[in-house]
Amino acid sequence: MVNEKYNLKNEIETVREDCLKPTRRWGRSTRIWIGCLLIVISWGLYCYIHQLRAGLGVTAMRNYVSWGLYISTFVFFIGISHSGTLVSAILRITKQEWRRPITRSAELLTWVSLLFGGIMPIIDLGRPDRIANLVIFGRIQSPLMWDIISICTYFVGSSVFLFLPMIPDMALCRDRLSVCDTRFKKFRKWLYTKMAIGWKGTKSQWHRLEKSMTIMTIIIIPVAVSVHTVVSYIFAMTLRPGWNSTVFGPYFVAGALYSGSAGVILGMAAFRKLYHLEKYITPRHFDLMGRLVLALTLIYAYLNLNEYWIPAYKMATAEGHLLRDLFSGSYSTVFWTLQFGTVLLPIIILSIPKGRRPLMLAITCIIIVAGAWVKRYIIVVPTLLHPFMPIQEVPNDWSSYFPNYVEFSITAACLAGIFLVITLFSKLFPMMAVWEVEEGILIEHDKQAAIELRLKREAEEAKTNGEHSGTGTEPIVQPT
Amino acid sequence: MKINSIIRKTSFTIAITGLFCGISAAQDQLQSQSKSEATIELSYYKKADMSKTAVAVVKTKDKEGKFVFAKNTRVNFYVMHDKEQQLLKNTNTDYKGQALIVFQKDLPLDDSLYFTIVAKIENDNLYEDAQEQVHYKDVNLGINLNPQDTARLVTAKVTEIGKDGKGIPVKGAEVKFCVQRLFGIMPASDDNTVTTDEKGEASFAFPKNIPGDTAGVITVAARMEDNEQFGNVENKANASWGIALVKEKNPFPRALWEPYAPVPLILTVSILFGGVWCVYFFIFFQLRKIKKEGQITINNSTL
Repeated sequence: MVNEKYNLKNEIETVREDCLKPTRRWGRSTRIWIGCLLIVISWGLYCYIHQLRAGLGVTAMRNYVSWGLYISTFVFFIGISHSGTLVSAILRITKQEWRRPITRSAELLTWVSLLFGGIMPIIDLGRPDRIANLVIFGRIQSPLMWDIISICTYFVGSSVFLFLPMIPDMALCRDRLSVCDTRFKKFRKWLYTKMAIGWKGTKSQWHRLEKSMTIMTIIIIPVAVSVHTVVSYIFAMTLRPGWNSTVFGPYFVAGALYSGSAGVILGMAAFRKLYHLEKYITPRHFDLMGRLVLALTLIYAYLNLNEYWIPAYKMATAEGHLLRDLFSGSYSTVFWTLQFGTVLLPIIILSIPKGRRPLMLAITCIIIVAGAWVKRYIIVVPTLLHPFMPIQEVPNDWSSYFPNYVEFSITAACLAGIFLVITLFSKLFPMMAVWEVEEGILIEHDKQAAIELRLKREAEEAKTNGEHSGTGTEPIVQPT
Repeated sequence: MKINSIIRKTSFTIAITGLFCGISAAQDQLQSQSKSEATIELSYYKKADMSKTAVAVVKTKDKEGKFVFAKNTRVNFYVMHDKEQQLLKNTNTDYKGQALIVFQKDLPLDDSLYFTIVAKIENDNLYEDAQEQVHYKDVNLGINLNPQDTARLVTAKVTEIGKDGKGIPVKGAEVKFCVQRLFGIMPASDDNTVTTDEKGEASFAFPKNIPGDTAGVITVAARMEDNEQFGNVENKANASWGIALVKEKNPFPRALWEPYAPVPLILTVSILFGGVWCVYFFIFFQLRKIKKEGQITINNSTL
């Protein structure tokens, strides 16, 4: 019994050590990686200042395509932010034990993609200094206003949802960081102390934390669904071919869940490899997540069919022009590549067990995430190029759109910003919820103990029964 | 030996690359030397406020042979003064290929009372030299109407300015009668063109079914378009001949631009998001409690 307890203590200590190890060392490769990201961000910042000074005319956007790469990226990032809701909240609410090592990365991905997703529409504004007017003179009738309210609500919610399970871990980090000989260590100690909000692990504190987490887990799901539905309203409430659709809400939610869960798998694969977490994030996790992505891809494929098949059946004038352009016109190559390459192909790969192995699954998820990004572009741009009033008496280049270096640079900077925040987070805080993993081990241990106890009891009962019936080897004959 | 060989190979590679770069640069230079042809369309406008403007539209052909506007091309504007060209202004074309000049002073006239405006593309990097010129006489287009006239007769009088500065009636000039709308000028009727008589006058009975502003005021315009002698000349006058516009109180009761949102919408949004924020505040309250309990534990342990 003593030995067993010692083993359990050892196991828990190993978990703590494995989780906290990446936060202690800032290796050379990390510094180089951060340096590269900062270069990309600086260049993006320079381009943004150029855009601010010279106006949106420096981008490839013109009168007709006024929502280009920026808004496509905004929709994509908001989609990725659904990962936390799906993987963390839904798996938490259904008490899936295998969720424990991956919830933190999912919640972080949600928070950081929302942070940068929210910045994208501001970048798309020619006069961002007027953003306050949207609140001061806001009109509740406008879907844009609903979007601001719901994204802000979701951002606050996902920040709380990320923070709550971090509290016991912050206390652990605070208590473990005993020697503060450098400025940076002092800063970390201060940060952990502040973020631990006086956590001592008392019964009452645990009770309050669990209650808060349960409530947040329930509330964050409808909030997340509402966010992406409201994002779709911006399009669907505009009378334009391609957007004038009642299926846009669920279509956006399904697309978000499909790309978001693929994003989580990529995060899992990266952290597993970089921080040597193979012991915790196992091929089983990938297999289960792969099944989840498969189911979501099938739902997404079905809604995709709804989105294009129904209007294609009618081919109404303006809608018909757009659909012809997508099916056999200038966007047909991209459109069909997306349908076959990023929807059908992942379905085939993920249906095979070998396709759900870590490496193969990660490659498939890269395809899915890239495809989801391009898909947002295909939703936004072709519709803007097919207005009801024909494009006429404007320069030739206004009737087509492809993002230029300014847009690519700023978007790349935002993506680099996401990577930078994730990297800094992973170097400051444990990327797995330590207490949750520990809890999982304890539950597993209790289960094992219960099984062993039951087996022991059954054996004892069998032995007693055997002694009563004589030799103990004769079968017991039940009275009829 | 090995180092020598590497140096030799590297220098050879650099020399070959340099040679290719040189050839390519020379080709680029040659290409840049072959300039495209550009055409200028020059028009002259005398507006109702008596301002005089010349507009040059520069076009060129693209690779497929289609005409496109030449953007950002420098156009020099000259006027003929004592048989010599006098440069007034140079300006770049916009995205519509347009470059314009507003004449601040009177234009110099020749012996036959014509003025000449010349637009030129000179020493441009992309286009060959091109020029276009127009000769016009100065003219006055008067507009005369009686706002109280029930017949709604509007008379335009065209007089060219003689050597002594007096007006000489112009016979046979075509005048079009139009009405000013928000985004442009609309012909007043299908048959809106009237030719001037010996007195230089053209009269037109204005239609009675044209909508005006809230007071029924409309702006009547008389125009000479692309006249061989005078170019484009226009004059305007206001009259309350239109049908007064009656503003509908609530033409789009469910529109997004309505000043007040419908109550059910406000209630729905408030309940939905208000409910969520109430939950958030409850969580913040719980966090505060956790913090307080932590502090109490610390104090107890200190005691």
